[in-house]
Amino acid sequence: MTDFLDDVQRDAVTEIINIAIGQAAGALSQLVDEEVRLSVPLVHFLTPDRAALRLDEETGGGESVAVRQHFQGPFAGDILLIFPERRSLHLVRQMLGDDLPVDQLTELEQEALMEVGNIILNACLGSLANQLGMGVESSLPCYIRGRGRSILDRGPRPEGESEMVMFLHVDFSVRAKDVHGYLAFVMDISSARHFIDAVQAYVTAQLGG
Amino acid sequence: MTVKKTVLLVDDSRVARMMTRRMIETDRPGWEIVEAATGEEALEVYSRVLPDFVILDVNMPGMGGLEAAKRLKEVYPQSVITLLTANIQDPVRDQADSLGVGFLSKPVRGDVLMAFLSMDDE
Repeated sequence: MTDFLDDVQRDAVTEIINIAIGQAAGALSQLVDEEVRLSVPLVHFLTPDRAALRLDEETGGGESVAVRQHFQGPFAGDILLIFPERRSLHLVRQMLGDDLPVDQLTELEQEALMEVGNIILNACLGSLANQLGMGVESSLPCYIRGRGRSILDRGPRPEGESEMVMFLHVDFSVRAKDVHGYLAFVMDISSARHFIDAVQAYVTAQLGG
Repeated sequence: MTVKKTVLLVDDSRVARMMTRRMIETDRPGWEIVEAATGEEALEVYSRVLPDFVILDVNMPGMGGLEAAKRLKEVYPQSVITLLTANIQDPVRDQADSLGVGFLSKPVRGDVLMAFLSMDDE
């Protein structure tokens, strides 16, 4: 189910997201002091169940930890930072220093992951908002642990909201630190259309059209 | 020899405060660091401690950093304040400018933070 986007729109969305994720990767790279490798962003239009299944497939079916922020503005949705395994201790150690005792590291793991999420997700959202010239408000980050369905669960669907969601995700890895994860956007179709329109308007303006 | 100063760190994330504290303790040993987790608490701590510098997160439960900066500047126009935030949107930078406070994006580099903490040296 990919016919919500034509090739030009898909290319434009991918490019805008590439730049935004690049900002997020820059922030993560600074936190871990290593290069962060990124995949090409993939955009799919899926039912929430299919999106959850897809996430489970990509994370090996095990439990993941995630940080989610809801955002709203001209378009609304959720942005998530997902680690397929418990890799966050590596990040905590990198952020707070090697001299912290392991029990304190473990105690701080959840808070550290939320702060990593806060930095990375806002870098991405902020870059998107700046590129498109729009203000986007985001909620405080929340921490989730579970499989795809609970990570992507957005609560009861408002009446009239489409059953499909735009699931846009990028894989990232920090090879030297054995850290890898995913950054995902989930928007309902109505918001996705506003988002795609905004991207198209931006690209048209950039090209002087 | 740098004169020892006091810094008020305001962030709802304990980890974020720990990271910033660690940078300051490394580069400015002996400086006093006080903390607050909300904008409301920041106003209370500021009035009691009168710190030389204030480092404010923006997105916090309750009163956010922009509102706290605005209120501090109204009462203490000489206060030296910067935002330190993951929210890199241009309107946030613009609001910081109009309030007369600095803007630092997270994660902050040590040299950038120290440049802010050297602002009243000259």
